[in-house]
Amino acid sequence: MSSNSDKSHKVPIKIGIKAYLSLIVAILFFSGLFLNVDGMKWLGAFDFTTLGGSFGTMQNPAKNTFVGEAGISAKAGFLFALSLVPTVMLALGVLEIFTHYGAIRAAHKLLTPLLKPVLGLPGLTGLALITDLQSTDAGAALTKELYDEKVIGQKELIIMGSWQYSGAGLINNYFAIGSALFAWLTVPVVIPLILMFVMKFVGAIFVRIALNTFYKKDFY
Amino acid sequence: MNNTTKKETNNPFDIFIIGARKGFNIAINNLMPNVLMAYVIAQILNLLGLMDFLGIVFSPAMSIFNLPGVAITVLLTAWLSASAGTGVAVSLFAHQQLGITDITILAPAIFLMGSQLQYMGRLLGVADVPKRYWPLLMVTSILNAIIAMLVMRVIISL
Repeated sequence: MSSNSDKSHKVPIKIGIKAYLSLIVAILFFSGLFLNVDGMKWLGAFDFTTLGGSFGTMQNPAKNTFVGEAGISAKAGFLFALSLVPTVMLALGVLEIFTHYGAIRAAHKLLTPLLKPVLGLPGLTGLALITDLQSTDAGAALTKELYDEKVIGQKELIIMGSWQYSGAGLINNYFAIGSALFAWLTVPVVIPLILMFVMKFVGAIFVRIALNTFYKKDFY
Repeated sequence: MNNTTKKETNNPFDIFIIGARKGFNIAINNLMPNVLMAYVIAQILNLLGLMDFLGIVFSPAMSIFNLPGVAITVLLTAWLSASAGTGVAVSLFAHQQLGITDITILAPAIFLMGSQLQYMGRLLGVADVPKRYWPLLMVTSILNAIIAMLVMRVIISL
């Protein structure tokens, strides 16, 4: 993890049109916008849920998947978990491509102008925050570095900590673990993701206000 | 994460394979053991009758989010580990104790307040956030989860 964070810290940030396109395509791919569009079934080729596919059915197609019916405990859990593996593989495979083409770097660039007015953080902290979306550990290591190098003070450290702590490792955790739930979401996959991303800011703003009022004495 | 050959290939198919391999590792090492454990815990709770008990006790609180009382077990487990919480949600769904709208309302909350125990060490400890503020950050995460469930409830009803 540490080598990973060192590397990402030193890579100069160059964001071309490719990176923004990649971010836009990533959002569209996971948005569910192309899911079951009437008369345009081919759009499903660009939709995550459609490509996740489905297993065939067993004897009673209305009820049975290969997991079977009325299984319990460890054996049922194992077979069910096995049925989740393809979704997770598809999600991380596609995510890897978007990341390769710069979707994360584009997101970083877009986030930077928000940091000062909304959270009172210098733009430099953007990378540590975006890194947290992918890896909790790398994000924490980068934050510690910023604090050690005195780029941020204690108050900023706490605000960054609150942003990272709620929904830590968001993108990776949601697509790796949460994809187990994707098949049953009644809203597009991207909606909970956007909501969680927004809530990270709401929480951090709340903490910023708390530090400026309730904990005011600590910082003077 | 530790795949150093990641940047060396520019072929999207190869890149997909690298990611899919990570996905397989996560599924085998994180997801499957957690789901299996959650199924077993749910079975224990069921056999002991605790699931019904928690469901009854927490049903007034959970009804605020339009969730059945038993949803509290998802949230409590998620607080310890997001993957275990997901496992419990999956298991309750399989036993028809949660429906698809319940899963949808719970999904963002699982991750917003997820794995807090673990991340105290891995995040707050590593970043050196003073311990005095840890409770504030914890409460904030739980508030985030509560607001997210209310928002999801509204989104679903649209």
